[in-house]
Amino acid sequence: MNDARDFSDEQLNAFVDNQLGAQECDEILAAIARDVELGQRLCALRSAKELVRHAYGNVPAARRGPHRRLPAWGGALAASVALIVGVLAGWLGHHAATTGEMPRSMAALFTTEPARILIHLDTSQADQMDAALDLAEAYLAKAGNAQVEIIANHRGLELLRRDTTPYAVRITELKSHHARVGFVACGQTIARLQGVGVEVELIPEAAIARTAIEHVAERVQQGWTYLKI
Amino acid sequence: MKWLQSREQRELVEQIKASRVRLHRLAFAWCHDAALADDLAQEALTRGLARLEQLRESARLMSWLFAILNRCWIDHLRALRDDLDDEMLADLPSDLPGPDSHAERQQTVNRVRAAIAALPLGQRQVVTLVDLEDFSYAEVADILAIPIGTVMSRLCRARVSLRELLTEAPVAQRQLRSVK
Repeated sequence: MNDARDFSDEQLNAFVDNQLGAQECDEILAAIARDVELGQRLCALRSAKELVRHAYGNVPAARRGPHRRLPAWGGALAASVALIVGVLAGWLGHHAATTGEMPRSMAALFTTEPARILIHLDTSQADQMDAALDLAEAYLAKAGNAQVEIIANHRGLELLRRDTTPYAVRITELKSHHARVGFVACGQTIARLQGVGVEVELIPEAAIARTAIEHVAERVQQGWTYLKI
Repeated sequence: MKWLQSREQRELVEQIKASRVRLHRLAFAWCHDAALADDLAQEALTRGLARLEQLRESARLMSWLFAILNRCWIDHLRALRDDLDDEMLADLPSDLPGPDSHAERQQTVNRVRAAIAALPLGQRQVVTLVDLEDFSYAEVADILAIPIGTVMSRLCRARVSLRELLTEAPVAQRQLRSVK
C-alpha cells in the first residue's frame, strides 16, 4: 500500500505537471483517496502552479518614450511578419551575391527592380564589420543601380562612431564612389550610450533612425531585401 | 510576396506572430523589466528569423525560439558580468528588485512576481517554462540544454521556495488562497 511517504516531491510535481505515465498516475490517484496529507501536498503544488500562471496572465508592455511610433504589439507583430519576408528574401539575396547563382523562383525579384539591400550589423567584431562592408561593396559592384544601406545597432554602432570605427576611410571612399549607399545608426542605441555618459559622435556619412528594428521593418515593407550579418 | 501564400508559410507566420507575445511574457517572468523583456523578445525573434533555415521541424518552432531566448538572456547576463560559467548562472541569486511598488505590494500578482523574482535564475527559468508555457520536462531540458533530472530538481526547489515565500505573511496567505 502506498502512502504519502512513498511519493517523492519529484513525482508529485510530475503528477501536477501531467508528466507521469498512466500507471504512476493511477497509483497517486488511488493514494489520494486514502491519504489526506498527500492530497494537501498536491493541492499546495497545484496552487503554486496556478499562482504563477495567474501572475503572468497580463504582463506590462515595455515603456518606451512617448513618441514611440508603433503600438507596442501591433508594430512588433508587423515587424515580425515583415522580417520573415525579408529574411527569406535576404538569405536568397545573400546566396546570389556570394555564389552568383539565384534560385529560379526568386529571380524575378531581382530582375524586375533594382536591388535594394539592407544590411544589419549588431556586433563590433572586426570580421563582421568587414563582412558588412564587403557585402555592400559586392552588391554595389554587381549592379550599377543597386541601393545598399547598412543599419548598425548595439555594438555594431561602433562602425559608425568617429572614435571607434576602424573603417572611416573605407566608408568615406565607398560613399564618394556610390551615391546609392547609406549608413544608418540606431537612435535607441545612441540614447542608451548617452544615458550611461558615453559621448557619441557619428561619422559624417551616418544618418540616424529612431530604432534599428523600426528601420528594418520599414525598409522591408518598402520591398528591400534584409540581410543580417 | 507569393512564396508566403503556401499553407505552411501562413501557419509559420501565424506562429511567429503568436510567439512575440509569449517570448515577451516569459522574458518578463525571468527579468521583471518590461523594457528589457521587450528587447530580449525582439532579439530572440531577430536571431530566430535570421536563422530560420536552421529550423528543421516547424512543429518545434516554439521550443526552438525559447532556446534562442535563453541564449539571448545568458548573453545579456554575461555582458554584465563576464566571469559567469553555466553553473554560476543557474544559481545566480536574484538582484532584481522585483515588482515592489508599495501601493501594490499586497496584491497577489505582485507578491507572486516578487517571489518568482527572488528565485535563483535556474529555478526561475524552469518553473516559468513549465507553468507558463506548459512545456514537458523533456522539452525544458532541451530548451535550457540541461539534464532532465536537473529540470525536476530545480522545479521541486522552486515550488518549495515559492510556497515559503508566499506563505510568509498570514494576511497575504489568506488573500492568495482566495484567488483561483
